[in-house]
Amino acid sequence: MLLQLNNIFKWVNSGGQRIFLLKDINLEVQEGEFISVMGPSGSGKSTLLNVIGMLDGFEEGEYTFLDEPVHSLKEKHRANLYKEYIGFVFQQYHLLDDLTVQENLEMPLLYKKIKGTERKAMVADMLDRFNIVGKKDLFPAQLSGGQQQLVGIARALISSPKLILADEPTGNLNSSQGEEIMALFKQLNDEGVTIIQVTHSEKNAAYGSRIINLLDGRMI
Amino acid sequence: MLRSYLKIAWRNLSKNKSFTIINIGGLALGMAVTLMIALWIEDELTFNDGFEHSDRIAQVLANRTFNGQTDTNWTMARPLEFVLRDQYSDNFDHIVMCKNWVPQYLEYNGKKISKTGNFMQRGAPEMLSLTMVGGEKDGLRDMNSIMLDESTAHALFGSENPIGKTIEINGEFGVRVSGVYSDLPYNSSFHGMRFLMPLERFIASREWARNVISDWGNHSFSLFVQIADNTTFSNVSSKIKNVEKDQHTEAQFNPELFLFPMKDWHLRSQFKGGKQAGGRITYVWLFGIIGVFVLLLACINFMNLSTARSEKRSKEVGIRKSIGSHRSQLIKQFLGESFLVVMFAFASALLLVHLSLDSFNDLAQKEISFPWHEPLFWVASSMFILLTALLAGSYPAMYLSSFKPVEVLKGTFRAGKNATTPRKVLVVFQFSVSMAFIIGTVIVAQQINHAKNRPSGYDKKGLVQLPVMSKEFAGKQDLFRDELLASGGITEMSTSSSPTTGVWSTWGGFVWEGQPDNFQVDMAWTWVSPEYVESLNLDIVHGRDFSRTMATDSMTILINRTAMDYMGLPDPVGKHIWFPTDNGPQFKMKIIGVVEDVIAQSPYEPVKQSIYAYDRANNASFYNLRLNPAHSTAENLASIEMVFKQHFPQLPFEYQFVDEEYGKKFASEERIGMLSGVFTGLAILISCLGLFGLASYVAEQRTKEIGIRKVLGASVFNVWKMLSNGFLKLIVLSSLIAIPISYYIMDGWLQEFTYRIILKWWIFALAMLGAIVITILTISFQAIKAARSNPIKSLRTE
Repeated sequence: MLLQLNNIFKWVNSGGQRIFLLKDINLEVQEGEFISVMGPSGSGKSTLLNVIGMLDGFEEGEYTFLDEPVHSLKEKHRANLYKEYIGFVFQQYHLLDDLTVQENLEMPLLYKKIKGTERKAMVADMLDRFNIVGKKDLFPAQLSGGQQQLVGIARALISSPKLILADEPTGNLNSSQGEEIMALFKQLNDEGVTIIQVTHSEKNAAYGSRIINLLDGRMI
Repeated sequence: MLRSYLKIAWRNLSKNKSFTIINIGGLALGMAVTLMIALWIEDELTFNDGFEHSDRIAQVLANRTFNGQTDTNWTMARPLEFVLRDQYSDNFDHIVMCKNWVPQYLEYNGKKISKTGNFMQRGAPEMLSLTMVGGEKDGLRDMNSIMLDESTAHALFGSENPIGKTIEINGEFGVRVSGVYSDLPYNSSFHGMRFLMPLERFIASREWARNVISDWGNHSFSLFVQIADNTTFSNVSSKIKNVEKDQHTEAQFNPELFLFPMKDWHLRSQFKGGKQAGGRITYVWLFGIIGVFVLLLACINFMNLSTARSEKRSKEVGIRKSIGSHRSQLIKQFLGESFLVVMFAFASALLLVHLSLDSFNDLAQKEISFPWHEPLFWVASSMFILLTALLAGSYPAMYLSSFKPVEVLKGTFRAGKNATTPRKVLVVFQFSVSMAFIIGTVIVAQQINHAKNRPSGYDKKGLVQLPVMSKEFAGKQDLFRDELLASGGITEMSTSSSPTTGVWSTWGGFVWEGQPDNFQVDMAWTWVSPEYVESLNLDIVHGRDFSRTMATDSMTILINRTAMDYMGLPDPVGKHIWFPTDNGPQFKMKIIGVVEDVIAQSPYEPVKQSIYAYDRANNASFYNLRLNPAHSTAENLASIEMVFKQHFPQLPFEYQFVDEEYGKKFASEERIGMLSGVFTGLAILISCLGLFGLASYVAEQRTKEIGIRKVLGASVFNVWKMLSNGFLKLIVLSSLIAIPISYYIMDGWLQEFTYRIILKWWIFALAMLGAIVITILTISFQAIKAARSNPIKSLRTE
C-alpha cells in the first residue's frame, strides 16, 4: 500500500461559520494505481490533491504515506518525504521562467543534492526519453503549451517518484496535445508509476483505473 | 547549487533592468557615502598616530579661575619646568618647554623666506620621533643650531647639502643646520612645523623672556611631556596638580595642573568650566550616524522593492517548494541574490569613491588616499558587504520564503495587508530620516549665515594687513606710512599688536575708579597707533579718537562698547585706569573714547571687553592698510609693494586680506555644513529612488483597478490623486516624527553658540513642504503613466 487517508477533515472558519473543504475522506491507494479525481468546481478535488501531496495540511484525521504518519511529522521531514517520492504536474505547467528546459529539469536533483555528473546523466536521459533534446537550451516562454507540459512531466519524473500528482494536466492544452499527454501518463503508469490526476473530462478520466467522485468535499 | 542560485539571481537581475538599476544604484550611492564617511572617520581617529610615543605624550594644561569662571589654559610659567625637572623627573621620559608657532625669517646666501616653527628643548626630536633625512637627531644640543623639515631645507638650499651650513634668523643671529627631518604628516598636531630651534635660543634673543625666568605670573610658554613607561597620565596629573599653586605665593587664580594626553588633542580639545567637554568628536559621531542612516536608507530601498515584487516571485517560490525545496534553501537563495546585488553595488561604490575622492578631500580639507594596499581595508570591506547583504536581504528572504505553495500556485495570491504595513513603516522611516537631514542642513546653513551677517564692527573690505614681527620693521612705521600715503595706494595706515581678526594678549591687574572689590580683571589689550580707528573705519560711540597732535594722548586708551558694561562705567570718558606696583597705583591712563565692538574672536560668541592703548613703544605686530578705493586692488598692491621693497629690500612682501582672514572663522562650520548638505542630498536621492521604484510597483499592482475605475469614468487626475494620496499620508506622518526629533537635536547643537538663531516654525514647515513636493514629483511620473494607460489593455490580460 502506498498511502492511506483515514477520516480526513479540512475546514476554514469564515464569519463564525465552519466551511468544510474536505469531509471525512477515506482513501487507500495501492502502488501502480491510476486514479482520476472528478467533481464539479469547488468540490475539493485540488484540495484533496494538495493534501495528498503534503503541500497543504488538514484539521482532523490520519494520513499514512509508506507507513509514515504524515499528520504527526515535522514540516522538514514532510518536505523530505514528498521530495523523495512525489512529483507534481500542474495545469499552468509552473516551470521556472528564468531557467532553461535543461535547468528546470535539473532543479529537483539539486534539491536532492545529487552529484554533478550523475545529475547531467539523468537530465540527458530525460531529455532523450521525452524527445526534447533540441529544446534543452530554450526558456519556457519559447515553447508551446504542450511542450511546456511535457517538460513539466519530465521534471516531475526526473527524481523517479513513486507517485505523480497531476492537477488538470491537460486543462490548458488543445485536444491533440491533451491526448498526447494522457497517452504519456498511461505509458508511465504501465511502467509502474502511481498516478493521481484531477480532471473535468470523462475522456481523460477513462485513462485511469479508478475514479473518485467528490461533491462538496465528500467522496460519493 | 550555489552556481544555480547565482545563475537565477543573475537572470532575474538582468531581466528586471529598472529594478536592478534602482537597487544597485541606490545601494551603491549609500555604500559610497558610508565608505567615504568611514574613511573620514578613520582619518580623524588616527590623528597623531604617526608619533611613535603618542600614547605617552601629553601637554600640561592648567585650570585657572577668574571671577568664579574656570578656564583651561595651555600657557605655562617658565619656572614650572625647573620644578618638574627637580622634583618629579622620575615620572617623565621627556620634559620639553616650548614656544610654538613662531614665524621667523630664514636667510641663506641672499635667499630669504618666512617660515613658522617651534623653539623647543632638547628632548623634542626624540619625543616626536622625528624621522631624520640628514644630520643628527639630537640636533638641539647646541644653542645656535636649527633643524629644518625637508621641504624648508629644499626651499632654502635646493640640491645643496644643508648640514653644517649657517642660516641667518631675522637678520639677528646665525644658526647652524644640525639636522633635516621629514615633513610632519598633515594629520598631526605638529603639521607645518617647518623648523625646530632650541628654546634657549629664543630666550637669549628676547629681553622679556630672559626676565621671566623665575616669574610664576607670566604665562608665555607651553609645556609638553612624555611620561615614563611605568606610570599613567592620571597618576602624574594628580602628582603635579598643585605645583603651580604651591610655588606661586600670589596664586589668586587657584591653578590646577593636569596632563592632556596627545590622543585627545584633536578630537576632545574643548573644555568647559575646567572639564573636558568633547570637541571635534561630536562631528565624528554626527557623521558616523549619518553614514549608518544613509546605508539604512539604501537597504530599505532594497527591502521594499524586493517585497513589492513578491507577487512576481511568489510563483517561483511555490514551484520550488513543490519540487522539494526547503524554506532554508530558499532563504539561502534570496540572501545569495542580495549578496550579489550588494557585491555589484560595492564595486560601483568603490568606483564612485575613487572618482570623487579628490573633490571630497577639497570639501573636507583632507588628504585621504584610498587604502587599496591595506589588507585590513579589504577585510573590513568584506565584512561591510556581508553585513549590508544581511541587513538588506534578510527581511525579503524571510518574507518571500514564507509563501505557501498551495496559495501562490493557485494564481489567486495577493500580497495582503501584512506585507504592505512593514513596507509603509520602512518608507516612513526613510522619509523621517531624510526630512531630519533637510531640517538639520537648513538650520546649520542659517546659523552660519546668521553669524556671517552679524556686523563685524569695522569695514573688512579693502583692508590689508602686513605681518611685521621681524626686527627690521621696528621704528619704520611712520616713514613707511608717509610714503604709502604719498604713493596713493592707501588712504590710511595704522599699526596694532594683534591682528584685527584675533586677540593675541589679554591683561589684568589694573584698577579704575568705581571698580568692584576683588574684581579679577581680564581684558583684551591691543597696542595701536593713533590712526587705528580711522584705518578700520570704526565708529566712535562716545568721546573722541586718538590725536597725534595732542602730546597728552600718549597716555590714553580707547575701550570698546562691551567694556563699558564690564567695567561698570556708564559714562567712561575721562575716567582713568592704573597699574598696581609695589609703590602703589602707577601709569595712570585716561579713557578718551568708546568704540564700537569689533568681532576679533569667534563670531558665535560675545565680543570680549577690550582696551586699545596708544602705542608709545614699538609694539606693532601688524600694519593695517586701508586700500585706496579710487584704484583697483591690484594697482594698490603694486604701489604698496614698490614702497615696501624700497624700505625692506631684503624681506619678502607678505600681506593678508582682512576679509579673507575673517572668513576663516567660518571655515570649520561651513565645511561641516557643506558636507552634511552633500550627504543630505544623497540621502534624499536614495530615498526618492526607492520611492520611484515602489510607486511603479504599486501602479503595476493596481493596473486592473485603474482600468476598472477608468471604464467607470475616472479622469487621469482622479487616478493620479488616488495613487499619490497613499504616499502623501506617509510623508505627513514622517514629518510628525522628524520634526520633534530634529528640533531636539538642532536645538542642542545651537546651544554651543552664544550668538545663535532662534528656531522658527517655518523652517520645519518648509522642510515638510519640500518633502511633499519631492514626493509628488517622484511618484507622479508613475502615477500619470498608469492613469493614462488604455483600460482595455489592462483589463484584457489575465
